Amino acid sequence: MNVKDEIRSFVVENFLFGDAGELTDDSSFIREGIVDSTGILQLVAYLQEHYQVAVTDEELIPENLDSVQRVAAFVEGKRSGVPCADSEG
Amino acid sequence: MELQMVHSFLESSAAARPDKVALVHDGERVSYRQLNRSASRLAGFLLQRGVLPGDRIVILLSNGVKYAASYYGVLKAGAVAVPLNVETGQETLGRLLDELQPAGIIVEQGGGHLLQQFHLVPPSVRFLVAIDTSVPGDEPRLVWGWDEALMAEELPEGAGKVSPEALASIIYTSGSTGQPKGVMLSHRNIVSNTRSITQYLRLTENDIQMVVLPFFYVMGKSLLNTHIAVGGTVVINNNFAYTASVIRQMAEEGVTGFSGVPSTYAYLLHRSPLASFRDRLPSLRYCTQAGGHMPREIKERLLQVLPPHTKLFIMYGATEAAARLTYVEPERLPEKLGSIGRAIPGVTVRVLDAQGEELPDGACGELVASGPNIMVGYWNDPEATARVLDGNGYHTGDLGYRDADGYLYVTGRKDHLLKVGGHRIDPQEIEEVLMSSGTLLEVVVLGLDDPLLGKKLVALAVPLGGNPSDRTLLSFCHARLPRHKIPGEIRLVAALPKYPSGKIDRASCLALCG
Repeated sequence: MNVKDEIRSFVVENFLFGDAGELTDDSSFIREGIVDSTGILQLVAYLQEHYQVAVTDEELIPENLDSVQRVAAFVEGKRSGVPCADSEG
Repeated sequence: MELQMVHSFLESSAAARPDKVALVHDGERVSYRQLNRSASRLAGFLLQRGVLPGDRIVILLSNGVKYAASYYGVLKAGAVAVPLNVETGQETLGRLLDELQPAGIIVEQGGGHLLQQFHLVPPSVRFLVAIDTSVPGDEPRLVWGWDEALMAEELPEGAGKVSPEALASIIYTSGSTGQPKGVMLSHRNIVSNTRSITQYLRLTENDIQMVVLPFFYVMGKSLLNTHIAVGGTVVINNNFAYTASVIRQMAEEGVTGFSGVPSTYAYLLHRSPLASFRDRLPSLRYCTQAGGHMPREIKERLLQVLPPHTKLFIMYGATEAAARLTYVEPERLPEKLGSIGRAIPGVTVRVLDAQGEELPDGACGELVASGPNIMVGYWNDPEATARVLDGNGYHTGDLGYRDADGYLYVTGRKDHLLKVGGHRIDPQEIEEVLMSSGTLLEVVVLGLDDPLLGKKLVALAVPLGGNPSDRTLLSFCHARLPRHKIPGEIRLVAALPKYPSGKIDRASCLALCG
């Protein structure tokens, strides 16, 4: 599985009770009520543990984390050393 | 003359400072003139649709400019605003619509399922306004687009005149026990509470409030009304889960006030750049907390992390009180850290025994509140109303006492008391001890049925990281609590179920225990 598929299955398993329903790679986790604030903490903990990447407090912004696509790009960017968006804008 | 209607706050601020920014949301900045005009046009549309004083209009919208325009528009028309959680499940929504018999419903895309399932809509509903949809069609018809509705002539101010005693809003409680109840609030209830709050927080037109709490929740509603009343600005951010985006916007907008429930602050302390933004929040005048007991440990950490000029207001209230009942003056917080403070202007809170007699300082009883903010009753539920309202006022269901300085303390909720092997135990005390270990993000202590003890204490705890073992936590309790108050079991979980307001949903936590 690639990163995007892994993140997608994490979201489906943990937040959608196994039912992917209408989840697309671009679905907004928050606007579409898929994940709440506790869920974002779980997601971040998963990224840190599973991909061994550090997620700073400043990086907790929708641009990095609010869809399967964005999370995958965020993780891949971290692994390849590309700077990620943070709250400095 | 003093304003007596909730929508008069908007009208008065729009007259005094029409070009001032009232709302900021997702890059949109809306002036008082624009907001008031949208609300008046919506009111005009409602009257065209035959809405009468007292008719219920359900608002199924998330926080945004259209929510505010809908809320004030409904009130201008003399109707009753009934905001519901946009994520209300089909079954509950069907039941609520059935008991409300609304004349109309304002929905967004998220409420689209409602439009597809017309069987949910009771026959009382004469129209739906779908805010993200353009629905061309000939009359008579049911569904209207938002832009279309706002093409109506503005309703002249004062045209939808109802008395200050008339119902303004029905707000559903999160229903920690049993079904959610519809709290009926009159214009007088909301106006008086709004005034008390603006007074003790010393709000002015220079205040800019960051709102992350939903407007359908009474505290969110109160943030909207108090800032509109003083001609301030409300910054709406629906992305609290991404805490860095909220903190950043607070710095960018020069926010002066932030408000949350206990879990809001637990999250900010655990996972946000709040501490590193300490020097970049020069305007942040105060933070407020209500919505339940916040552990002492979180208050202490918050006082350390907030900028030195930021005051922390610990407050207490209930939906039934139109929001607020008491607060602690920030200057006295360090010495009254466990207190909910004293009653706000115009409100009385007494400690009564089961016979309704007032208890002396230090004695524990039920907190009973009276004042112009106390609700009219529960919608369609005279029995439930009679259980909480009587000649003494509103029985909060909270147990507590008053100290010699007149400061009130809540020790727990009547309906959370657990009977464990002959002892009556208040889970709040145990939760407080567990949180003081400093290793948990949040915790709830519940009573599971037990054939021997009646109830067995079980704690569901969310670790901050580093995974404390349940044995460590239990031994921490052993050192601080009598044996009968030590949980039989501590289960470490990833998250606790919550209401959209952020309050812990104890019923769902109990269901988690199986």
